[in-house]
Amino acid sequence: MYFVAEVNEKECAKYNCKQCVLFCPEPNCLNYKESDHTAWVWYDRCKGCEICVYVCSDLLKRHCIEMVMVKTGD
Amino acid sequence: MGLEYVKISPGFEKYMPRDYVDLVTFGQFGKQVDVMQLGQFKELVEEHPMCAGCYMAYFIRVFYAALPNPEDTIVLGTAGCARLALSQAAVPFIYGNYGDTNAVASGLKRALSIRFPDKVKDVVVIAGDGGLMDIGFGMTMHSWFRREKFTTIMVDNEVYGNTGGQESGMSPKGIQLKMAPKGKQFDKINAVELAQTAGCVYVARISPTNPKRIAKVIRRAILAAREFGPTFIHAYTSCNIEYSIPTREVLADARAREKKDFKFYEWMTDEVKEYLEEIERKEKEKAKQEVQK
Ligand SMILES: Cc1ncc(C[n+]2csc(CCOP(=O)(O)OP(=O)(O)O)c2C)c(N)n1
Ligand code: SF4
Ligand code: SF4
Ligand code: SF4
Ligand SMILES: [Mg+2]
Repeated sequence: MYFVAEVNEKECAKYNCKQCVLFCPEPNCLNYKESDHTAWVWYDRCKGCEICVYVCSDLLKRHCIEMVMVKTGD
Repeated sequence: MGLEYVKISPGFEKYMPRDYVDLVTFGQFGKQVDVMQLGQFKELVEEHPMCAGCYMAYFIRVFYAALPNPEDTIVLGTAGCARLALSQAAVPFIYGNYGDTNAVASGLKRALSIRFPDKVKDVVVIAGDGGLMDIGFGMTMHSWFRREKFTTIMVDNEVYGNTGGQESGMSPKGIQLKMAPKGKQFDKINAVELAQTAGCVYVARISPTNPKRIAKVIRRAILAAREFGPTFIHAYTSCNIEYSIPTREVLADARAREKKDFKFYEWMTDEVKEYLEEIERKEKEKAKQEVQK
């Protein structure tokens, strides 16, 4: 089990934003789907640092990212 | 390397690892990506073992996206945390003895300009505060005195992060670290002022709070080094482990330091200024024309 970020895509799509993607320290981890205007997390690459949560919740007050526990293979 | 070397020979696509195929198909080789497109193209740097929330790792991520010519770039690093990610990128990486980056880069840049007189080959050093301002200090300074034409980027976490928390010349005065329990007795070295005095033609100090600005500074430093001489970027890249910063607060810390002692600073000679303004003006025009098309 490990701790990763998960984007609530339905909420995120409301904003056309992308800010969290630009501040994640990991490459190709927090990505952006232009067609749906949503950020999405590649779980295997996420280290659970919560910098994206700081950006989305603390700075922007949008609250679209949650930290969740996943199992290998999820 | 060169663009031809990077491409997959026809018919071999199905035998190559998925990440490599993605790199060639959706990556930045042969084109100039905008750093604001991060998360929408395959990045040059891959998964690496730097700590969760490390902003040195973040800076390195932006660095690769900002390279003006990745297929013709060589990166040099040394012992310290940065090399853990630098060695996982699709750009040739040279790793020597601790602190020797700027001596090796000097020879390499000269050799490349003899071997490839008609081509631009960028040489970039990325090393820690210990590597550049303590143990490699003499080599750093002399590469600047000799006006060697490459870029030096100091990823300053104000500590020897990789070896568990010894103080460096860049640690702030008074700071207590695991292996500096009495608190540091001396001031932080003024690296930017040293670089200017020693002959760098472009110098910047930056805290990683704005990816667009980081990319601009990196690009400018690399372009200026091609024509005029040594360039230097002093980047604050916190070590959340040795400075006990909760990872969620890492960006907040970078923003706070930017307001305090890491205010954005950029200096260049008049001829560099003229040269960069001309390049940037042409790029803007080209972008405008493309939008109109
Ligand atoms: C000649 C030599 N002396 C000492 C070491 C041990 N060593 C490895 S990394 C390091 C310090 C790294 O500090 P810094 O350059 O600031 O990089 P950071 O890990 O903080 O990014 C030291 C002393 C070494 N590898 N080689
Ligand atoms: S910061 Fe929040 S709203 Fe903005 S792209 Fe990221 S998840 Fe979506
Ligand atoms: S928790 Fe950290 S590593 Fe994971 S997506 Fe968010 S910023 Fe990236
Ligand atoms: S020890 Fe510090 S500088 Fe090194 S990878 Fe970890 S957080 Fe980054
Ligand atoms: Mg250091």
